[in-house]
Amino acid sequence: MKEGVWEDVWIPSACSICYNQCGILVHRVNGVVVKIEGNPESPLGLGRLCPKGLSGIMMLYDPHRLNVPLKRTNPEKGIGVDPGWVEISWDEALEIITGKLKKVREEDPRKLIMTGCIPSMWPLTFAMATFMPAFGSSNVFFSDGHQCGNAEHLLAGTLHGALTTNPDLEHCDYLIMFGCHCGTAAYYAFTTMAQRMADARARGMKLVVVDPMMNAAGEKADEWLPIRPGTDGALALAMLNVLLNETGIYDREYLREHTNGPYLIGPDGHYVRSGENGKPLVWDESRGAAGTCEEVESHQNAIEGAYTVGGVECRPAFQLLKDHVQNYTPEWAEKITTIPAQVTRRIAREFGEAASVGSTITIDGVQLPSRPASLVYFKGSHGHNHAWLTSLAIELLCEVVGASNVPGGLMGASPVCYGHPETELPRWVPKAGPDGLLTPGIWIGATEPGYSVKPYPAVEPQAPQSYNLMDLLPTALSSHLAVLTMPRGEEFKIPYKPEVLLNYGANSLMSIGNPETTADALRELFVISFNLWLDETTDFADIVLPDTSYLERLDPSPNLHIHHFPVGMGDWGWQIRQPVVEPIGQRRHFCEVLMDLSERLGMLDAHHALINHYYGLQGEHTLKPDEKYSWEEIGDHIYKYYFGPGHGLDWFKKNGVIKWPKNVKEAFWKPFIEARVPIYFEWMKEFGEKVDSIVKENALPWPEEGDFQALPDWKPCAALESEDEEYDMQAVYYRVAWHSFSMTYQNPWLAEISEKMDPYSYFISVNTTTAKEKGIESGDQIWVESKDAGKVRGLAVLVEGIHPQVVGIANNGGHWSPNLPIAKGKGVFFEALMPLDLKKTDPVTITMDCDARVKIYKDASGEKWQDTAWSST
Amino acid sequence: MARYGMVIDLKRCIGCYGCQIACKAENFTPPGITWALVLKNEQGSFPAVRRLSLPMLCMHCAEPACEKVCPSGATVKEEDGTVTVDYETCIGCRYCMVACPYGSRYFNDRELNYYGDQRTPYEEVGADPPEGWESKPRRARCTGRVEKCDLCSHRREQELEPACVANCMAKARYFGDLDDPYSEVSRLVREKGGFQLNPELGTDPSVYYLPV
Repeated sequence: MKEGVWEDVWIPSACSICYNQCGILVHRVNGVVVKIEGNPESPLGLGRLCPKGLSGIMMLYDPHRLNVPLKRTNPEKGIGVDPGWVEISWDEALEIITGKLKKVREEDPRKLIMTGCIPSMWPLTFAMATFMPAFGSSNVFFSDGHQCGNAEHLLAGTLHGALTTNPDLEHCDYLIMFGCHCGTAAYYAFTTMAQRMADARARGMKLVVVDPMMNAAGEKADEWLPIRPGTDGALALAMLNVLLNETGIYDREYLREHTNGPYLIGPDGHYVRSGENGKPLVWDESRGAAGTCEEVESHQNAIEGAYTVGGVECRPAFQLLKDHVQNYTPEWAEKITTIPAQVTRRIAREFGEAASVGSTITIDGVQLPSRPASLVYFKGSHGHNHAWLTSLAIELLCEVVGASNVPGGLMGASPVCYGHPETELPRWVPKAGPDGLLTPGIWIGATEPGYSVKPYPAVEPQAPQSYNLMDLLPTALSSHLAVLTMPRGEEFKIPYKPEVLLNYGANSLMSIGNPETTADALRELFVISFNLWLDETTDFADIVLPDTSYLERLDPSPNLHIHHFPVGMGDWGWQIRQPVVEPIGQRRHFCEVLMDLSERLGMLDAHHALINHYYGLQGEHTLKPDEKYSWEEIGDHIYKYYFGPGHGLDWFKKNGVIKWPKNVKEAFWKPFIEARVPIYFEWMKEFGEKVDSIVKENALPWPEEGDFQALPDWKPCAALESEDEEYDMQAVYYRVAWHSFSMTYQNPWLAEISEKMDPYSYFISVNTTTAKEKGIESGDQIWVESKDAGKVRGLAVLVEGIHPQVVGIANNGGHWSPNLPIAKGKGVFFEALMPLDLKKTDPVTITMDCDARVKIYKDASGEKWQDTAWSST
Repeated sequence: MARYGMVIDLKRCIGCYGCQIACKAENFTPPGITWALVLKNEQGSFPAVRRLSLPMLCMHCAEPACEKVCPSGATVKEEDGTVTVDYETCIGCRYCMVACPYGSRYFNDRELNYYGDQRTPYEEVGADPPEGWESKPRRARCTGRVEKCDLCSHRREQELEPACVANCMAKARYFGDLDDPYSEVSRLVREKGGFQLNPELGTDPSVYYLPV
């Protein structure tokens, strides 16, 4: 007899297929998930989802998912080497793990290393910010090397008080997008930003896209500027020169009041300071004398000119910037970027004019500066050596016209929050740090430093203690480098050897760079891996544990408080991620297992203390040291602390998201927060000198590039430095809206898009003219061979919308694991083209250089390309 | 009487395939069958290039070529202007697929699952929905029939927009009654230069596009 309907419900939760964690409603009928839609109540997505979010059902029910813990029986580890898995019980698995971890914790807890995947951002951060410090190790690294925005994060932190940035599309009239897909295929708050981007474009906002390849962003651009990869900084410098020295378009009032533009800089490159209190001096135009910011009215600060103070010749920082960019003409830039000088000049002027310096707008009764010109930049532009200098050059375009955290400009994501009206929590506000410069009020979900230090004031560099080298370079806000350093501890003078790797679902072999290098790092470690599937990296695991997917688990703060939120006006919101079905098989939530491990290791008290610290839990809401809490009880503590006794876990399970309106002073905080931002990074030079001296003292193999500069320059990335004519092209990767990182390749709905519909993403895009010169036609099997790493094979697609010197490949393709049958043999393994090499790393922010110098040629072997889709030599 | 149709604003569309997946999730369509999809191409030559995304679905023509050739009477133009297939009546001859100038029809030739032999619980529900499930989609539940978009008739009965419209992240899709001069779709077609695909074929589609 046919079953009737005994259940028909919609459950609010949060997605986790990329880092954006959008609000979802899950439709469950008779215990089965039948649909995932956007939650109209959530500020993240406003009821609309990207194809990835819609396709989560297939991830939940993928029959290839892991359901039981496994133990390795084959001691030999290698790519494609069968680990000889045998099924074990959870108890046995945890016994083995506890034994290993106990030993390591007694010897030196830093021998435990951790990594994880970015889409599961909240559990990853929970582990890195609470479990790892409780254990005693700060050895964490990110396995999204070529995707992470280190350089952007440093600028977002120092200029915007936030982890990330986004343009205020509701008021912007002119947007320049440098190497990213804001509102068109990816990027922060994508689902909401896509709606705002379409609204803005329909309203008449001009979109200029600077990108070597015409992808989703270029498609929507009013003007597409195909730039040579790695040269966006040169374009930005030339534009700065046009603004500052050719057209004179800059916001004097903003620079005087809100930046360190008026700070006087001496011949040594440092601030000229008051003899009395050590504060930086500015020049008072009315008195014709120097004074501190407290002594001189902002509107009388000189930002231009040359002065002598106490016998020292000095110039305001802004004057230095103005002089510094003078040689960077559009004609100079043309030779580097391949963008005609006249175009650079016109775009700079259009941008400057659109900024409407001096104009105001009234929002909710509050008069604010209006600067409807913005930019947005990410990996395409800064994913190269010299990422710091490039990002700084780009950011300064907005700073000089005052289009920073005011309507229409470039905004930090959620740096100011005065909290829910009932509790005034969560609450964070940036403030003036040393020398009056902005320091963020929150950093990676913590109001107090957790596993990561705040970007300003910079922490003193020290000789490496962690394999991520982030103590040598505290300016790096994340790092992938452990895969490079782990086998080379002695070279880096790290006083212990790593022993155990805790992997939370990262497929490091496929998501960083040359897989052989990563394999070398993993081979010697005891690897504990929490996974959804047996992927390529689990070939190196000793114990594999079946993880829950985002539809099977409870995460009380999916958005790390309120990170990656849409900027500008709108609602604040705090979501829940809750299980919409019971975990299938023996799958267990990573965080619950961590709590279990803490108890077994006898460190529950420390772990609870770290949870209290990370969440800022106070009073009755704190977790007691030795009491045992269920995961649900911990969630309840967090919710009630932030939103009061009426908004505990049960309330969130029912309602999904608590939201309240942003006020104008939160959204557009710049005029209301008394903290200046640096247009001249005075501290950077000294910081770099300290790094250099540590490098020299310890004879560390860290490249001395001299990039610790107060002002930006353009320097060629490794691919552009090469003069090898044989390798005549640059390979770059690009993102599409229907894949996030490597795991989405296993989703058959998403795979079908790339296989049957999209003409590009599983192919190697080559400019038609270039390809024909090389005798390559669409559909031909070709090799792309990297000068410095391996080579990859795939089918060519000839396109007009790509720079003639560039090969374009979508990220994270080319899986080979037989345990991922949907993903296997599809797409091209771009990452194998990238050497993991210090020379391919930004020396300030540990940003990975993501383009490769390559040659392409037809493959006449007659083999199926998937048989050998890549080779490391 | 009405003439339900759709307006797709190509200026807003970002070619993300969200419509394709929203439709698939809603209607349980099997591998290879995409009632909604997006075509892509590029025009011009470097650097003066444009890339285009063109979302496609059944055009629900006022003069449907498919209806004219349907020997069984399964394909019908309904009173609300939508073109539907009665899956009980369809004999799977596929004349309609040949006649449709827009390639919007699919022959469901055999039982296929997304993971091969292993049918997911979701696909189980799609193949055999529980009795009395009000909001269940009306997809063909057996093979050997031709199927296509029905503008989410099951959602419309609940006064919901078709799934592809409700989800579109760029808000590029509008659903409504083209016969009502005051409807948003009629106004958009009038005011923003809405056009049909291949109007010269005389099928008079009810899906209109707004220029890039």
